[in-house]
Amino acid sequence: MKKRDSGRGNRVGLSSLGFTTVLIVLLALLVFSILASITFGNADLSVKEVYSVVAYELLHIRKFSDFAEGAVHDVVWIIRFPRVILALCVGMGLAVCGVVMQAVVKNPLADPYILGISSGASLGATIGVLFGFGALFGANSVGVMAFLGAMGTSFLVLFIANIGGRSNAGKLILAGMAVSSVCSAIGNFAIYIVNNKNATTEIMFWTMGSLAGAKWQRVAVLLPVILIGTLIFWSQFRNLNLMLLGDEASITLGTDLHRARNLYMILSSLMVGFAVYAAGTIGFVGLIIPHAVRMIFGTDHRRLVPLCALVGAIFLIWADVGCRVILKNSEMPIGILVSIIGAPCFIYLMVRRSYGFGGGRG
Amino acid sequence: MKIKTEDIRLAYGADAILKGVSMEAGNREFVGLIGPNGSGKSTLLKCVYRVLSPDDGAVFLDGKSLKEMNYKASARSMGVVAQHNYYNFDFSVREVVLMGRSPHKKALERDNAEDYAIVAEALEKVGMADFAARSFSTLSGGEQQRVILARALAQQTPCLILDEPTNHLDITHQLQLLKIVKQLDVTVISAIHDLNIAAMFCDRLYVLKNGEIVAEGTPREVLTRELIREIYEVESDIVEDSKGNMHILFY
Repeated sequence: MKKRDSGRGNRVGLSSLGFTTVLIVLLALLVFSILASITFGNADLSVKEVYSVVAYELLHIRKFSDFAEGAVHDVVWIIRFPRVILALCVGMGLAVCGVVMQAVVKNPLADPYILGISSGASLGATIGVLFGFGALFGANSVGVMAFLGAMGTSFLVLFIANIGGRSNAGKLILAGMAVSSVCSAIGNFAIYIVNNKNATTEIMFWTMGSLAGAKWQRVAVLLPVILIGTLIFWSQFRNLNLMLLGDEASITLGTDLHRARNLYMILSSLMVGFAVYAAGTIGFVGLIIPHAVRMIFGTDHRRLVPLCALVGAIFLIWADVGCRVILKNSEMPIGILVSIIGAPCFIYLMVRRSYGFGGGRG
Repeated sequence: MKIKTEDIRLAYGADAILKGVSMEAGNREFVGLIGPNGSGKSTLLKCVYRVLSPDDGAVFLDGKSLKEMNYKASARSMGVVAQHNYYNFDFSVREVVLMGRSPHKKALERDNAEDYAIVAEALEKVGMADFAARSFSTLSGGEQQRVILARALAQQTPCLILDEPTNHLDITHQLQLLKIVKQLDVTVISAIHDLNIAAMFCDRLYVLKNGEIVAEGTPREVLTRELIREIYEVESDIVEDSKGNMHILFY
């Protein structure tokens, strides 16, 4: 047997004890992030005021009943708190769907929007803004249109990839790209023809993503969808692992992944569709969080899924804090901030750890 | 366990790849499949391990048609070591081998201590126990192939299908891998390129040419100067060494 340089060892993975510890630490960090992040914002509130409101709303402690209403209560409970929970949901959803999509199409460059979801959502939003379609959907009609666009394109991509035999990773990626570019073309054409400056600005803000529109009603819908979706994907760790080995190896290991693949994509589209409905398209989170977590904790999905869910949630909560704090009296679009923070962190990890991306050796 | 194929036919469009192939491997028999490139060896094996479904004909495991078995059941009967095992993501060696336990698992079942013991034993058998925590992608080709063999062993199947498992391996690792397989004493069907290696390990050989079986028998019966000339269009000599093992020399 060949002797090997032990420095090239590159061990991956965690012992199960280490995994449990990391999970608990991240959970604690998530709770801390939620509580800490609501103290940041443009309105000048003391930490004591903020927690008095939270204590009243969550625990109904009589002593804090002074904070049951009024400006302070509204800022904390109506504006900030749902926004933090929204960040949690969107971050968790995008990170988990990123992991799943990378497994489904067996490609490390995949992200949650790979099935043309972002272009579909943009097209839906564009139509909503320009033509006022969807006004019947109420206050967030643009979000509803985006959701419909997202779901429409992902089903179209799935359908196309399944024409003429079973879908596979290559067909899905290509169908996603094709449908994506058709959607962007139609969207751009509409913007070009209508030539409405205000509408164009609105669409641009929307495509950069924002958590500012958070409301309890929306969070109440989104939170269960994301949590249940995450748990379902966690339970599917075995199939997700097998997907990375490819269809042929999976069959020899007793699993035909064809049906699972389609089901995962539908569930993932649903989760991303809801995230898009509530916050627009936020890029990069669904791509970098899975890679960052994989670099540190390995590829095994029984760990990857829950760890990504927590790291994604924490990351987006703090990114949103950054958006509120960095510019005085104004907000930075979260998509921009995520890329600015995320990309350098990502490059650092990439350079520091040996990591096999598109294959090749680590 | 006995594996039998009956009149397997498969065509890609107008090109018939397999033209009615019937072969069988008896219980604990090591059967080799030889033949030139493009003769249909891999295609035949893919029909056996269900990645391809034949246009006509059937594969039987102990008399039971594969079509009547679900994928989990067939994966509990045969393990497969194929040619290409190249992954875009970094799994650890242990994780790769652990996947061999999936056919024994229900949808939400977790891996238990027994599974880990089986994995450790499989890695031990292929001499890769020290590599359990290593990243699969950092291993050499020979090491990777041994890990894939360990994965097939972890399936604990009475049959193994090997599709040119020793391609790209140096001679040390070719011999090492096939010796491990031979010692398992299970039913084996293996496509093999190297005729000397085939002669060394196989109880019986089938010779495929243009999608048809043109000869079968023990290596001594099959590997003659005439047959090698006919199939491979090269001249050769068959010699016997002092231990009575046969060797083929090519010119």
